Amino acid sequence: MYNEIRVFVENKPGKLWKISNALGEAGIDIINLEIADEGQFGVFKILTAKPDRAKKVLSDAGMTVAFNSVAVIEINDQPGGLVKLAKALEPSGVNITDAYGCILERGKRAIFVVKGDNLDAIESAARTAGLRPLDSLE
Amino acid sequence: MNAKYTIDGFIHIHTTGDISMNELHDRIGGRFMAMSTDEIREWQSQALARSVAQAAKSPFYSERFKNMGLDPSDIKSWEDITKLPLTSKEDLRLSYPAQMLTVDQEQVIRMHTSSGTTGKPTAIFHTREDIDNWAELMARSLYQAGARSNDVFQNMTGYGMFTGGLGLHYGAERLGMWVIPAGAGNTARHIMLIRDFHVTVIHATPSYAMHVAERMLQEGDDPKSLGIKMAVLGAEPYTEEMRQKLQDIYGFKVFNSYGLSEMNGPGVAFECENRNGMHLWEDSYLAEIINPDTLQPAGEGEVGELVLTTLRRTAMPIIRYRTRDLTRIIADKCSCGCNHRRLARMVGRSDDMLIVRGVNVFPSQIEEVLMRHKWLGGNYLINLSTAAALDQMTVKVEIAKDAFDGSLDTLRSKRGELQKELKEQIGFTAQIELVESGSLPASEGKAKRVIDERG
Repeated sequence: MYNEIRVFVENKPGKLWKISNALGEAGIDIINLEIADEGQFGVFKILTAKPDRAKKVLSDAGMTVAFNSVAVIEINDQPGGLVKLAKALEPSGVNITDAYGCILERGKRAIFVVKGDNLDAIESAARTAGLRPLDSLE
Repeated sequence: MNAKYTIDGFIHIHTTGDISMNELHDRIGGRFMAMSTDEIREWQSQALARSVAQAAKSPFYSERFKNMGLDPSDIKSWEDITKLPLTSKEDLRLSYPAQMLTVDQEQVIRMHTSSGTTGKPTAIFHTREDIDNWAELMARSLYQAGARSNDVFQNMTGYGMFTGGLGLHYGAERLGMWVIPAGAGNTARHIMLIRDFHVTVIHATPSYAMHVAERMLQEGDDPKSLGIKMAVLGAEPYTEEMRQKLQDIYGFKVFNSYGLSEMNGPGVAFECENRNGMHLWEDSYLAEIINPDTLQPAGEGEVGELVLTTLRRTAMPIIRYRTRDLTRIIADKCSCGCNHRRLARMVGRSDDMLIVRGVNVFPSQIEEVLMRHKWLGGNYLINLSTAAALDQMTVKVEIAKDAFDGSLDTLRSKRGELQKELKEQIGFTAQIELVESGSLPASEGKAKRVIDERG
């Protein structure tokens, strides 16, 4: 299980700068960043190697921050890498509500970040297929 | 004498028996507080006659009485009040700077002006006796709510022209409290002083009290740890829900206070320990409730516009002042034993009422709904605009930092519920904008809650 950072923002210019600047100044590397948008407001989803530190830095900068539990599954960064995981998840019957992938090392390692109604089931399905759920990205 | 507080290494010896009960009784006007209903009426009749005679010495009232053929000596009883003319805010503006002054310049020791931002202000004058009486009213208000001379009082509003600052200051001193005149702004210093000097009673605007709490929570600090027992909140309207929210956050009791600069300022009416309506000091103010449209007296217990006449002010008596505040008088006897009748919570101001798409809306109705939602912070803004020739209302509201669970769906559905409840309350759909905690302008004085940009 891993903590992804969620930041509530109004849909206004300068928000991406404010967040990336605060993390950059604190020396925190952003592994992945996505924005879910509802028109007037949105939520930033940020994956970093230092979630506790990132949460504190953003909160101290006055931002509204929360953790969101996700499963981070390491896969091979090659054609068919995701298939192995998807195949393992299919019989487990868990519903995936949100997911994205990103590359850690081009051609070698990637991660698939999943949110679903049962993270334990997702992780154990991955383990059964010989894949590794990560609890650290350091 | 007993040592009460240890403050940073030195011991403050607090004398609990520094004044006798008799002296305290005099300081807070105990003889007025203890009056029976009949005694109050008897006093009011004499005081009204004096007040009208005094008012007639001013250029403004002497002309007004003459024009309507009124002889001040005809006013003999409180029941003659309806023979007198009403005084409006506009009358006060027209009498600016000093057409309502009744005494020689050398007798005036202070003036205040209203917080009005448009045009000329209204100036109110006080003799030494007036300032003394005002302090007495304020001291008895605080006493009645439970404050005592061994309380430490921090005044967190602005001083200067704003009557709330000096009004509470003089009253708290009169009662013998330890007064910290901290003034408005500088939140960090307020928190430090409250903590270091074991402040037990504060005076602030509700929006500033909320601002301080939010600041503390943001820094991981608990407002309850301050140990404040009692808060006097006023100078801007706030709902029962806002009171509850602040009480929950701080763990103190909030007392409502009512006052307006034209009637001195704070100390006109104040809640007792029962906190069920505010006792109006009837030895100093004669109250009427009128229908704001017909100007006729409202029925007993009916809501209408509060009209007040000063009974003890000498430099500038004001006769039948239309406060624009909508309320009713609670005539039932209060179990605290005080026979001064109570004013119910203000319904709103006839000035504050918004007309949106032909519907009458009071900002307090919107606040009431917002405060029910624990996931929202205390700060909000109502914005009115015109789009396609139709009134649009947008309510901007801060979400509480600790209520955010990271999910966009949660926010979307909570916003939907809020929108639905608001519609049930006001009858039309308002746009809801969720904004970050601390992003709306923090108010340290009177909060500006409505921005009307309709063309």
